[in-house]
Amino acid sequence: MKKHKIEDIFSSMEDFSSVPPPELWGQIEEKLDKPKKKKRAILWWSAAACLLLGLLLPSILYFTGSPQNNNLNNGGFDTNSVVLDNNKNQHNKTTSDENADKTLDTTANEVVSTKEQLDNQQPNQNQENAVAHSDSKSKETNSNSKSEDKINRNTPNQNFSNQNFIASEEKTTVKSSAKSPLEKNKKTANKGISEERIAFGKPSKFNSTAQKQLSNSIFDEQFIPKNNKNLALNNNNAFVNNGNSKQNLNNPKNNNAEKIANTVGKENSKFGMPLTKQDSVQLAELQNLEKGILPLEEKKDKKEKKDKKLDLKDRWALAVFAGVASSENTKNEKTLGNVNDSKQSNSYGVKTKYNISNKWAVSSGFKLNELGQSVANVSYVSAKGNTLFVPGVAASNNAASVAGNSEYILISNSTKEALKSDNIQSGKLDQNLRYIEMPLEVSYSVFNRNKASINVNTGGFVGKLISNNVALDGHNIGQNVTANDYVYGSTLSSTVQYRVYKKTNVFVEPAMNYYINPLNNQSFNQFQWGLNFGLNVSF
Amino acid sequence: MNHFLKDDVEKYIKLCMKNDREGQLKIYQLFSPVLYGICLKYMKNEDDAKDVFQEAFVIVFQKISQYKFEGSFEGWMKRIFINKLIETLNKKKKESFFLDVFDPDTDFVEEEELEVIPMEQEKLLEYIRDLPDQYRTVFNLYVFEKMKHKEIAELLKISEGTSKSNLNRAKHILQKRILSIKNFKTA
Repeated sequence: MKKHKIEDIFSSMEDFSSVPPPELWGQIEEKLDKPKKKKRAILWWSAAACLLLGLLLPSILYFTGSPQNNNLNNGGFDTNSVVLDNNKNQHNKTTSDENADKTLDTTANEVVSTKEQLDNQQPNQNQENAVAHSDSKSKETNSNSKSEDKINRNTPNQNFSNQNFIASEEKTTVKSSAKSPLEKNKKTANKGISEERIAFGKPSKFNSTAQKQLSNSIFDEQFIPKNNKNLALNNNNAFVNNGNSKQNLNNPKNNNAEKIANTVGKENSKFGMPLTKQDSVQLAELQNLEKGILPLEEKKDKKEKKDKKLDLKDRWALAVFAGVASSENTKNEKTLGNVNDSKQSNSYGVKTKYNISNKWAVSSGFKLNELGQSVANVSYVSAKGNTLFVPGVAASNNAASVAGNSEYILISNSTKEALKSDNIQSGKLDQNLRYIEMPLEVSYSVFNRNKASINVNTGGFVGKLISNNVALDGHNIGQNVTANDYVYGSTLSSTVQYRVYKKTNVFVEPAMNYYINPLNNQSFNQFQWGLNFGLNVSF
Repeated sequence: MNHFLKDDVEKYIKLCMKNDREGQLKIYQLFSPVLYGICLKYMKNEDDAKDVFQEAFVIVFQKISQYKFEGSFEGWMKRIFINKLIETLNKKKKESFFLDVFDPDTDFVEEEELEVIPMEQEKLLEYIRDLPDQYRTVFNLYVFEKMKHKEIAELLKISEGTSKSNLNRAKHILQKRILSIKNFKTA
């Protein structure tokens, strides 16, 4: 008797096949219908989470991290009243500043230009943050609870609508699948399989075919020369042929097809079930095809690499994002003798990305971003506190006119000491420059495995000034006259991305921006870091 | 003819990509016996094999859009099944799955060449399934999937030594069982 190694003895099990119980297809069908809902739910939830995170994080950071809180009440104005009136302005959307400026005298109101009033309407979002913060504690609580209420009210509605949407879709699917003629096919197939099992006679522990395949042992393989494969003499072919033999007798036309099926020899047994005539022919052809493909499988790794390279699909991606940004003073720059402080803001945008290759991509889009700075303890002279103050005249050589409003003269520290006047007040100066930016970035993929990927992005951007706002102790006093209408800058960021559903990804993107020329002849925070959260769909 | 069939299979795959139930059924009919056979070889009992089979087939249909029509479709499906099987086995284990450390003194058992009588596939399957999970997994991957120890080690997150050790012990157990059958029959 010939000797065998363990591997040889078990080599017949390599192509072991067994017909699964018929009920399994039904269960698979059920499962195929279910996960969609889950996946869609995940998609919606992740989108909502991203949006919520993007919106909440800036607020949280602003309220918890801002050192400006204490300064707000130090100024000469009644901050609370200003804040409250600003809120009214926002809600009523009126152009009148009468309510907003209750604490200011009437002269001041007259000086405020109509243009400025119009400008005030736009940056209300920013003011709103300051407002909520500087308000009394009770009001803060109220406003917070209101906003929570709003969120709570909105969220269930959204969920409800989503659920409805999903439910209706599901119903449609169920309906359509229920009515589908495929149901018949399914039944037929299952019936076919069960019939085939019965046809084998013996109820096996695993299935009936396993027993029919028993003769397909290694010894059969070894003793039958390879050339004899075409004879289809082994039992496996026999059971395929048995199933069809009657039909073949009646229908000689099918003999050719049967021959083809036979030429595949025992390879057919791989599928281990008596197939219909048509299926067995197709199966035989499939086997031939598989044989042809098999050598390619050996170069699997190479092909996978090639796949990635040649993957022409999913070259484009569209992303929406929202996040928090903080403008920083990296050079210890000073305005009017005071150090510029950092300032937090929000950023939103949409961008599209084009994958040039497996590793490289370019992207561009639009982004609403804000560059800002705060300067604490800025000295100024106000018309309110000085009855002899004549607008325009006071703007002497020693005074720095940051804002385009002659109502307030901002004075540098050195001038303040020289003047030693009682009319000089100090407060916090906030400056915000909002831009619509168009970045152009190059991305390099440093990590891409399974569902996760990490890209490093760098590039430049051009921004158009859309809002220019200067506030003194939370009260808008005009615009920074030295702000450039167009800015340029460079950006460096890293995108950490995770696929949540088919072609949909969520990402987090820490970024650094450098603005080259926000202002003319004045120092301003030029460096900005940001953290964006977003959703990305490839197509 | 081949082109005709290739087109047919591609047609079914494309139908599956559109979530078409008829296409899914065709793919199921064509490939389920082989894939169910794999599940039976990896799992100790039939119920577990059925569970994994269902779950893996669902994954196949869900991920079918990722198939790029290059290479064997059956091979692509097999990889999904094997990954799912290993994932399930890993989840199932409560004790450490691959604790064995390779010991060259004890683990290099001289492989005997056996004189055996022809054995039924069902019997062979029973022997494989009687192996402990970790031995069975390595044995399946090495003998049937033709994977190298390095690849097995990477896949199972074990050392190459552990992989070798598990394979040797699996072979040793199988060898003993086959010899016992042989002795029983000859006696």
